[in-house]
Amino acid sequence: MKRVLVANRGEIALRVIRACREEGLEAVAVYSAADRAAAHVRAADQAVEIGGAPPSESYLRIDRLIRAALDTGADAIHPGYGFLAERAAFAEAVEQAGLIFVGPPAAAIRAMGDKTEARRRMRDAGVPVVPGAHEPVTDLAAARSLAEELGYPVLVKAAAGGGGKGMRVVHRQEELGPALESAASEARKAFGDASVYLEKLIERPRHVEIQILADRERTIHIGERECSIQRRHQKLVEESPSSAVNGELREWMGSAAVAAAEAVAYLGAGTCEFLLAADRSFYFLEMNTRIQVEHPVTELVYGVDLVREQLRIAAGEPMRVPAGWLEPRGWALECRITSEDPANGFLPSTGRIEQLRVPGGPGVRWDGGVDAGDEVTLYYDSLLAKLIVWAPDRLQAIDRMARALDELVVDGVGTNQGFHRRLMADAAFREGDLDIQFLERRPDLATPALTDREAVALAVAAALAEDEARSLRRPSVSNGDHINPHWLNRARLEGLR
Amino acid sequence: MKYIVGIAGREIEVEVDGDRVTVIGSTRTASLRSIPGTTSRQLVLDGRPTGLTMRSAGRGQWSVETRGDRWEVEVLDERTRHIRGLTAGSARQRGPKTLRAPMPGLVVRVLVETGHAVTAGAGLVVLEAMKMENELKAPATGVVRAVRVEAGQAVEKGQELVEFE
Repeated sequence: MKRVLVANRGEIALRVIRACREEGLEAVAVYSAADRAAAHVRAADQAVEIGGAPPSESYLRIDRLIRAALDTGADAIHPGYGFLAERAAFAEAVEQAGLIFVGPPAAAIRAMGDKTEARRRMRDAGVPVVPGAHEPVTDLAAARSLAEELGYPVLVKAAAGGGGKGMRVVHRQEELGPALESAASEARKAFGDASVYLEKLIERPRHVEIQILADRERTIHIGERECSIQRRHQKLVEESPSSAVNGELREWMGSAAVAAAEAVAYLGAGTCEFLLAADRSFYFLEMNTRIQVEHPVTELVYGVDLVREQLRIAAGEPMRVPAGWLEPRGWALECRITSEDPANGFLPSTGRIEQLRVPGGPGVRWDGGVDAGDEVTLYYDSLLAKLIVWAPDRLQAIDRMARALDELVVDGVGTNQGFHRRLMADAAFREGDLDIQFLERRPDLATPALTDREAVALAVAAALAEDEARSLRRPSVSNGDHINPHWLNRARLEGLR
Repeated sequence: MKYIVGIAGREIEVEVDGDRVTVIGSTRTASLRSIPGTTSRQLVLDGRPTGLTMRSAGRGQWSVETRGDRWEVEVLDERTRHIRGLTAGSARQRGPKTLRAPMPGLVVRVLVETGHAVTAGAGLVVLEAMKMENELKAPATGVVRAVRVEAGQAVEKGQELVEFE
């Protein structure tokens, strides 16, 4: 393996390109018409334009991606996450073209991709799953009787889903119909498959997931990540380890995840997502058969470079992680910096990034996908970058994150930076008292607030800026000794108009 | 020059005199400088620095951003403020209210029809952007006057979607 085509964009494309560089591999970028000058294109050894701005014309075009790989002499394709990363058909097409797919075998993607089928398999493998239907919902009457049987609240989920798309919580019977309809429509758009299923909603659970790594010899777990800070099922903050998991629970969950991966003959990096209830019971949700957005927190506490390991395993080599007991060292925290403006109801914000100042200093990592001058459009995901910190313990990591967030400047598009700052200062978050409904109870974290001192500072700044702007507009007419009287006269005449 | 600055529901008087400002009765040193090579400015108020980005929309309207939070600030001199006070009553018009698109996107569903009575917070239109569906809600209780868009239509930011009273 010498040259890898990266079938993605944004921060993950850049992350994979960096890993290629460090592994001594060449990286080929692909880009849509909207991404001609994007950061991942500038970072690659070669770059190929593959179509129009909408993903359906570029990043989702299997034929064009494979053509680009063959034309540039690439011998492998890394899918990143999102787009085609979990499409078994893509993995198959890559292999049929004689190329290496940096990921699990197509059969494992297919087995885990159908969420209903995956749950059945997991139950059979002895992995605990959330009670619910194993079949897609076909009509409202059947859905109603199933929901009654499970007991409200229930969750509507897209069978082909992920990332919270096509997912709805239903508290009462009358909400079921509209929820099924809107979840199906969102699922059809996001995944091209409208089938949805129902399951019992576990109340106030944490979202805890286990990182898996498998080569041809062995399958191991690399600890957990806690991702309970979510908004509409979109993760915003992740950490490793989890304040709810001790060594014993980690081994229980870890073994369940390893069993899940082995049940589908997994290869490479993957993640088993679990709901963790307050009584420490846990339920398999799904397996993401790809690198995860939040993989860096695991990398920082376990000292493993997951993307480089993916590349090694794809090349047929064994993983570099030593056999035996793995212990997390210290604490890592990640904030997803998205172009969503909390002050505007978390709606997407677009525009040109006029300025970007990236935080630095001890223990700070920035996995970004944009630079100053880049345009943020509505075509793609709103993730601009991930700000990740490491520190010896959780509170120090939170304080370090607060410090790094203070250093960050993104000018030109609205981001959720202020929300993250308020979260880092929040007492309940600092206590580690988390569950996946945390943000639903705390809409106040989205709303900016000003202390009196800050209000005075901003008022003074605005007054000074206005004063300066006015003085630039105003013709400066002083007492006039050294001014040509002709021009002074002109100015007076202008003033009389 | 004396300014009245409106920010986050507060009104703060700021008198600017060279490198001194008088604010809430106390006089302090203040400077506002551009940071070369960036779009940022730095305010130093009594030796305390604050990094900011600022954009003017004219007529004393400023958008000020610091540490990721953006504030809409209005800076008026006393005379303009006085005139504003005299005309404010007549400027506040009664009439139809409109729901506008808060972002560019695609209308997925329209949940109301002309003549429907809606309560504040009821969903009116589902707009899709960045592959997420966003339900736009009625800002107040009222009756739908007109629906200006239909499902499948692409809309620009600020475009009228639903008019109601």
